[in-house]
Amino acid sequence: MKISVKRTRTLAALLAAAMLLAFTACGTENKETESSPITVTDMMGREITLEKPAERIVALTPSDCEILYAIGAGDALVGRGTYCDYPAEVADVPEVGSGSDTNIEQILALEPQVLLMSTMSQTEEQAKQLEDAGVRVVISDAQDIEGVYTAIEMIGALMGKDEEAAALVQSMKTAFAELEEKAEPDGSKTIYFEVSPLEYGLWAAGKNTFMDEVANMLGLKNCFDDLDGWASVSEEQVLERNPDYILTITMYYGEGPLPEEEIMARPGWENVTAVKNGAILNLQNNELSRPAPRLVDGARMLYDFVYGEE
Amino acid sequence: MRVHKERFSAPEYLLFTAVTFGIFCFCVCTGSVSIPLKDTLSLIRDAVCGVIGSWIDHTESVLPEGTTASILLAVRLPRVLCTALTGAALSLAGAAMQGLLKNPLADGSTLGVSSGAALGAVCAIAFGITFPALPFAGTMVTAVLFAFLSLLLILGLAYRLDHSLSTDTIILIGVVFSMFVSSLMSIVITFAADRVQHITFWTMGSLQGKGYPDVLVLLGALVFFGGVIFLHSRELNAFAMGEENAGHIGVNVRRVRLVLLIAVSGLIGVCVSVGGTIGFVGLVTPHMLRMLTGPNHRRLLPASLFGGACFLMLADLAARTLLNPRELNVGIVTSLAGAVVFILIFYRARRRG
Repeated sequence: MKISVKRTRTLAALLAAAMLLAFTACGTENKETESSPITVTDMMGREITLEKPAERIVALTPSDCEILYAIGAGDALVGRGTYCDYPAEVADVPEVGSGSDTNIEQILALEPQVLLMSTMSQTEEQAKQLEDAGVRVVISDAQDIEGVYTAIEMIGALMGKDEEAAALVQSMKTAFAELEEKAEPDGSKTIYFEVSPLEYGLWAAGKNTFMDEVANMLGLKNCFDDLDGWASVSEEQVLERNPDYILTITMYYGEGPLPEEEIMARPGWENVTAVKNGAILNLQNNELSRPAPRLVDGARMLYDFVYGEE
Repeated sequence: MRVHKERFSAPEYLLFTAVTFGIFCFCVCTGSVSIPLKDTLSLIRDAVCGVIGSWIDHTESVLPEGTTASILLAVRLPRVLCTALTGAALSLAGAAMQGLLKNPLADGSTLGVSSGAALGAVCAIAFGITFPALPFAGTMVTAVLFAFLSLLLILGLAYRLDHSLSTDTIILIGVVFSMFVSSLMSIVITFAADRVQHITFWTMGSLQGKGYPDVLVLLGALVFFGGVIFLHSRELNAFAMGEENAGHIGVNVRRVRLVLLIAVSGLIGVCVSVGGTIGFVGLVTPHMLRMLTGPNHRRLLPASLFGGACFLMLADLAARTLLNPRELNVGIVTSLAGAVVFILIFYRARRRG
């Protein structure tokens, strides 16, 4: 008998434990269903509803990958576009191509709930194909810094990381405000943003670019602000407009002169103020060309370059 | 039937030189930044005096300074010179190739020789082939080599498939070869993914940022390879009557063909490695000029030299100034103008025929 009592007790204890487990499981499940569904308006104005925050996501644009990592959702990234290169660990995520070489089959095989893409490099057909296969396509398409905030908040909502996203946006706003406050422009300094070096034909960043926006924030005048977006410009015009600063985003491949040195050595450029003063900055990690949180880093580097480090 | 003289007379050469020089001056005086003619002239006079003065006194040359001087002397002048030389070289190469193949549609761009040269240069960039003693020699040597190999391959195929080298065969082989080269290029890019940007920009080509060293290289290539082509104008005329006939009148067909192929590859390779692939120049200028000069290469070759220089200088002027302060790629302008002119010629020829 004694034995049987003991047995019943053990059984009861086990039962209780099992029930407890079951309840807690129920509890977490309940909590999840409470916080969902999530409705997000993407940057094309389309409404996307998810039953719960996305746990598997593919991002094709480098900037969206950067945002995912910045809000602490990098673990959910199961596939990435070809040119996603920041932060370094993104390289370990399977690559699914991008642009016209996007591998739709591979994306589907990764079974993501959400696919993040931009309108610039992807097509509507690709979006439709993925939607038909049950992947929710969300468009992020930031054209200015305000748009980057929108993208961060949107991605935050998708991933159930609203607080982290809000904090990130706030920190960016504060950082930019600080820089704007600290900058003491005399209103006359001009800057030339070189997007493609002379060897391949000059391209400059004009108005409606992140570089232009950051320049204005720091009290600098973009000397090609009469052009829209990135534009191929005449070498003569650069000499004529005589910028006080030059920022080049040319990549350096470890051979030949550094991009700054190459600009300094260009024949005919010796009369350009920036070249005379050696005021040339090379930002080659896309700090100021991607709609991502690192715009702050780029703005800081430009600030330090123009106004001196503290 | 118009009867053409065997070669141009001295006054005719003088006229060509005057026209080319006139266009050259116009292109130097016009640009994205407008510089008053008076300043242009005085700047050039000062520069010339400075250089000559330094030769006489053996001192450091005193050149005019200031932004205007830099724009004119360091940017615009070398660019216009490079453009003129590239135009002349491409046009001459085109004329020689058309003579060699007895086909008016043969050209570096239609046959895919330019693409082949570009592939060579891209390989040099992707796999880091360089010759430390000479700047940009890596891309140049591989470009010339690949241009030559492309020509050999194209001609080998053409002769094997269709000994009469009809237009259809030439065009088809050109199309197929260009596609082949472009897929090879994609493969190279896949292997050198870290240099995609470098390579893509390079294949677009640009006459921007060309300096006096480029002028010298182009001039050297034009004098050497162009000279070789000029020395063979009689043989080219003989080829026009068919290779067998050429052989009968004592032309060493194989040797001449090889020499001309090397000269043409040299011109195209050097041009491509300096300014990228610029289409239609070698096709359209000789074609238009043939209507004036007749088929005799003793007249056609010099005319192509001047005509090509003028055509490309004007095309580049349009590229530089039409969308000011933006710039177009000169290849876009030549292809636009070239395609239109070409269709007009083709249409008229068909109607007449």
